[in-house]
Amino acid sequence: MNDLSRPRRPHGPGAYLLVIGASLVLGGLAGAASAFLGDQPGPVGTAVTAAFVTAAMAVGFTACIWWWRGIDEAAREAHKWAWWWGGSGGMAVGSVLLLTLMLRAEEQSLPAKLGSTPADIFVSGMMCILLFQLAGYSLAWAGWWLKHR
Amino acid sequence: MNNRLKVLRAERDWSQAELADQLGVSRQTVNALETGRYDPSLPLAFKIARVFGQPIEAIFTED
Repeated sequence: MNDLSRPRRPHGPGAYLLVIGASLVLGGLAGAASAFLGDQPGPVGTAVTAAFVTAAMAVGFTACIWWWRGIDEAAREAHKWAWWWGGSGGMAVGSVLLLTLMLRAEEQSLPAKLGSTPADIFVSGMMCILLFQLAGYSLAWAGWWLKHR
Repeated sequence: MNNRLKVLRAERDWSQAELADQLGVSRQTVNALETGRYDPSLPLAFKIARVFGQPIEAIFTED
């Protein structure tokens, strides 16, 4: 609060795209490394996959911290508000949809792309919820800035 | 909360972008502050007061 030096310019959309792009590349590298090096029987393969995914998540999270520290307080407020209301709202909508589908499972036929094993279907459900969260988050974020123009 | 940001900026003939640079925030944030749709944190309010050389209560007033 007592810093009298000239403040630096906050991160713009370029930094956001940089973090998203770097995260995608990192995720691709971790996925490729897991596929090639983690394709071993037993706990070694699981450990290798877990190590690559953990490392990618850690680096990605570090990039997010760098980006978060570089944006200004209104931008942070928009993201916090969007994550709470948009993310939670999206999760609620997605949960209603998935739970309803689950309760009527015998009447539904799941698309083959969602997988056939319990693990595949579990991950597909998780990703569906994440997509609903992201959709809600995006809408709420845009709404926050429209309201605060 | 009401504020005199727009008037003070106009008196100095600064653009929103110039004020944003001095405060270390984005132009969108300055716009949100000026329209009274976003209330700044205490540290940012102090920074605004310092930039304009006025006490906080001379810039921000309650509704």
